[in-house]
Amino acid sequence: MTFWFGLSPILVVGLGTLLLMLAEAFGKSPNSANPSDAGSGRSGELALGAAVVLLVGAAFSIGVWMVGPENLEGLEATRPYLVMDRFTVFFCFVLSLGGAFAALLAGGYLPEHDIDRSEFFPLLLLSTVGAMTLVAAGDMLSLFVALETMSLGVYCMVGLRRSPRAAEAALKYFLLGSFAAALLLFGAVLLYGATAHTDLVGIGQAIKTIGQPGSTVPVAPVLLGLTLTLVGLTFKISAVPFHMWTPDAYEGAPTPATSFMAVAVKAAAFAILLRVLVVAFGDDRLTSWGTGWPPALATLALLSMTVANVVAGRQSSVKRMLAYSSIAHAGYALVGVVATMRSADGQASVLFYLLTYTVSTVGAFGALIYCGSRGAEATSYEDLAGIAKRHPAAALAFSLFLLSLAGLPPTAGFFGKLYVFRAAFDAELYVLAVVGLLNSLVGAYYYLRVMVFMYMREPAPGAQPAVPMKSAFVSSALVLAAVLVFALGIAPGWSLDMAGAAKIVVSAK
Amino acid sequence: MSPGLQLVFEAWPYLLAFVVGVLIPRRQGLYERIAVGVVAALSVLLVMGLWPSKEVVVDAPKPKEWPNLLNVIVFLPIFGSVSILFLPRQSPKLLRRFTLLVLGLDFLASLWLLGVPMTAGWHFQYIREWLPSFGIRYHVAVDGVSTWLILLSTFTTPIAAYVSFGSIKARTKDLCFSLLLLHGAMLGAFVSLDLFLFYVFWELMLVPMIILIGIWGGVEKIKAAYKFFLYTMAGSVLMLAAILYMVWTHKELAGFVTFDYLALKNLVLPKTAAMLCFGAFLLAFIIKVPMFPLHTWLPDAHVQAPTGGSIILAAVLLKLGTYGYIRFCMGMFAGPAWSAAANLAGLAVGGGVLYGALVAWKQDDVKRLVAYSSVAHMGFVMLGLFAATRAGVEGALLQMVNHGISTGALFLLVGVIYDRRHTREVREFGGLAKVMPIYAAVFVLVTMSSIGVPGTNGFVGEFMVIMGTFVSLPLGSHGQLQAVLATTGVILAAVYMLSLVQKMFFGPLSNPKNANLPDLNVRETLALAPLIALIFVLGFFPNVFLDRARDSVATVIEGYQEGRKAYMGMEPGAAAKLRPRKGGNLETGYPEPPKPGGDAAKKDPAPTAQLDPARPAGGAP
Repeated sequence: MTFWFGLSPILVVGLGTLLLMLAEAFGKSPNSANPSDAGSGRSGELALGAAVVLLVGAAFSIGVWMVGPENLEGLEATRPYLVMDRFTVFFCFVLSLGGAFAALLAGGYLPEHDIDRSEFFPLLLLSTVGAMTLVAAGDMLSLFVALETMSLGVYCMVGLRRSPRAAEAALKYFLLGSFAAALLLFGAVLLYGATAHTDLVGIGQAIKTIGQPGSTVPVAPVLLGLTLTLVGLTFKISAVPFHMWTPDAYEGAPTPATSFMAVAVKAAAFAILLRVLVVAFGDDRLTSWGTGWPPALATLALLSMTVANVVAGRQSSVKRMLAYSSIAHAGYALVGVVATMRSADGQASVLFYLLTYTVSTVGAFGALIYCGSRGAEATSYEDLAGIAKRHPAAALAFSLFLLSLAGLPPTAGFFGKLYVFRAAFDAELYVLAVVGLLNSLVGAYYYLRVMVFMYMREPAPGAQPAVPMKSAFVSSALVLAAVLVFALGIAPGWSLDMAGAAKIVVSAK
Repeated sequence: MSPGLQLVFEAWPYLLAFVVGVLIPRRQGLYERIAVGVVAALSVLLVMGLWPSKEVVVDAPKPKEWPNLLNVIVFLPIFGSVSILFLPRQSPKLLRRFTLLVLGLDFLASLWLLGVPMTAGWHFQYIREWLPSFGIRYHVAVDGVSTWLILLSTFTTPIAAYVSFGSIKARTKDLCFSLLLLHGAMLGAFVSLDLFLFYVFWELMLVPMIILIGIWGGVEKIKAAYKFFLYTMAGSVLMLAAILYMVWTHKELAGFVTFDYLALKNLVLPKTAAMLCFGAFLLAFIIKVPMFPLHTWLPDAHVQAPTGGSIILAAVLLKLGTYGYIRFCMGMFAGPAWSAAANLAGLAVGGGVLYGALVAWKQDDVKRLVAYSSVAHMGFVMLGLFAATRAGVEGALLQMVNHGISTGALFLLVGVIYDRRHTREVREFGGLAKVMPIYAAVFVLVTMSSIGVPGTNGFVGEFMVIMGTFVSLPLGSHGQLQAVLATTGVILAAVYMLSLVQKMFFGPLSNPKNANLPDLNVRETLALAPLIALIFVLGFFPNVFLDRARDSVATVIEGYQEGRKAYMGMEPGAAAKLRPRKGGNLETGYPEPPKPGGDAAKKDPAPTAQLDPARPAGGAP
């Protein structure tokens, strides 16, 4: 029994997916007369179903957290393929939350913009299950399978609109994603060849023996494998220079799918990146600045923050700007990942950062969705001009999430940044921290630009101003996200402790 | 005697002032009359209550300090701003009254600060754990320095709000929201003794100020808003980096994390690191002050901001920079501050006092002129702080308040003429004294205060700063030259202000558009009256002010010298170290290490006891 309870965060969502699929297949559609459009018109109920499933999943994550996965008997049976530790449970919660937000947003967005295709929701749930298993994966095999499960659903969601633009986005994402997955697989093969292990713990122990008398592990394939694995994973977190697909895919996808990609896919990829680095490549020689991965990741972090922030400031579409901003945020979180090499707080800071980033990003995309309505989706800055006068609540909510993304107190984003940069100072990565802080200044500029348009500009004469939609789904998601942004900003104590307790501890000496 | 009669006997000066105030205005409604009466009574109350002759009562029991007072002062406006969101935007009158009520209550609450003798040490201290795992506490307190800045802001913000409501009719809800939030954030920054808390309030000020500039500003408002935002943010992110570095170093040395000012103050950093951290803090503060060459955002922001925004900007927001310098740069980085003082003072004199004055002279736009005069005045304040003598710092503190009063009044007066003519070009005016005699008289009076004519507040402050600079130790032999040059700056101030007055008010009434301008109305008079009263109160009785600041200024200077000694004692290449705690009332509320490390907690008080008697008594150089 404790075994099943321990796995429940993943199982509940998986089971819910199957039920939702059945409901989608056998339920009666209001448009069933038209065979080419079968299954449309039911986004509302399916969105509610998906959100409920995911929130129940989140509730089970909380339950497992309270009991503590280490106290549950029999959970070791799934190792190394699925590792249910506090780290996994923490991310199960974050992913369910992010998925639930995306489902709520989709419930308002899809019918409003006439892409009322009900397969979106089972796909969303499947991707979330994939993401959760990815976080739990302790073996290169399950890691790859989970990664593909997560990605396939997202590829479909990106192309949901069936416009040339969406098709281009989906194809681009799919091709590059497959390429990255292949590289990851290649890396795994090399590691297996070198260490005769596919499980991360085994790889880690084998690498520790390098240099000891009698060791048979060759160095070159390990380093090559490490590099290829990192490339595969940093592709998923869209760090510069592996970010080329991001703006197009984010812009072409329906906005709820974009928010899911920005939040859940990225968080899961960060989680598995941390796990791989800490468990498999946690050897002292590999975590040192001179011979290991930290300088490579630090370079990626610097590039991601700087390039993305500079480019984001030059965008004319808010959605594309948010895409670049998500790349920049990947850069900030990477600073925390690099800090794990020396600081005890590094992992916790990344975990907490991802939590704050999830609520703020979901809120920002949600507010963007909320500001548009049928036929007039708000995407550009001009669309948002003067919206504060016509719809003050929408503008206020949008501003709140933007301020959180910019990292201004007293919002969640501020604490996230503070924690990451504090960890960087702990690890004596002064340059990285200072560059990151300066970057958040650049970031603040383009977030502020949205606010300037909303509050201080009038729409151009003759332009069609965006009219905010009316959707209980979207507004409830926004309210929930706003509450979380404030709660994490003013009283982050409990979540900080959780992030601190969730970090992976490698038991082997 | 009945209590009612007794009250009349005890409170007769206030009642008299009230009655006179009510009777004076002609042809006005009851509300305006009562308001004038209240202002008059409060002015009398202020002068009588602050009269320094009360020193006899040394043995009197210490007045009780209500620990929640600062919380009330800071959070009343913040909660007010949140409640504004829930009031209907269709009824601007309600919104305005609510805002004024909150600001008024806040002012009354802050008057309590004057009720206790400002001895050295912290007053009205309030400490709560906020994020124990991060070492962040909610720690607020005031001393003689911050008290005056709090009073200045609770005093000027209602005036600014009152003026804004006269000229701004659009989007009242946004206006009320940002005014209240800005007010609360500024007060919070003045009282925070936890660096994290300080940073939170410091950043919280940004957004409402941008809204004030960007929504109701002039033609170039959006550019000005960006400029303001980017300048201020650039300073503050580097400050955050320095804070994080110091917190981390402190943790390595003391074994526990804390953001508390009292603890970080005892940190002696290695020389390079100290210089860098000092630089980061200094940058944040001199951008805010602003000092040459980082002053370029100020004229833009001022010219584009609405009158109320300008008043808040000039009167309070700039003071956060100078306050930050006194509290944090002089408190935590005495060594680097000392060694950089002479150069920085040169910058303050050359770039601020002289250059600011010369540029002000050449301006055609009255508001731009006043903005550059702000640069010059703030140069004086910074000069006094760099000099770091008792007279210099006290003068700088007084000059901060003076600048708030006189420049606030000047911006208000410029706003008056702008509301009537919608232009601020000097050449559009001339001979205004003939059509607006009261306006002209008030303008000349405020000009006198701004120039520093004896008898007004400006004179005392500038005189003390120059005197302090002349004998300053950190400035060394440069001090005398700088004092002489600063005196030239006073003359230049007279040149640009008086030529402005001459061009605007005297000579023939050349522009026919000016022929029928109405004189000051009641709202404007009411807003100006308290400022003018204070110009004379501080001009004739500066001791009202200086008495309360004296002990704290002495403490600041003492800490500055000790900090410098500790810094000079560092060997090149030595690691950071912690100074032993001194104890005493300056360190009440010192953060204790968390409970599990009980050993450290027990060890700590020991050095306190040993070192306490060794504390030097005097502070003056």
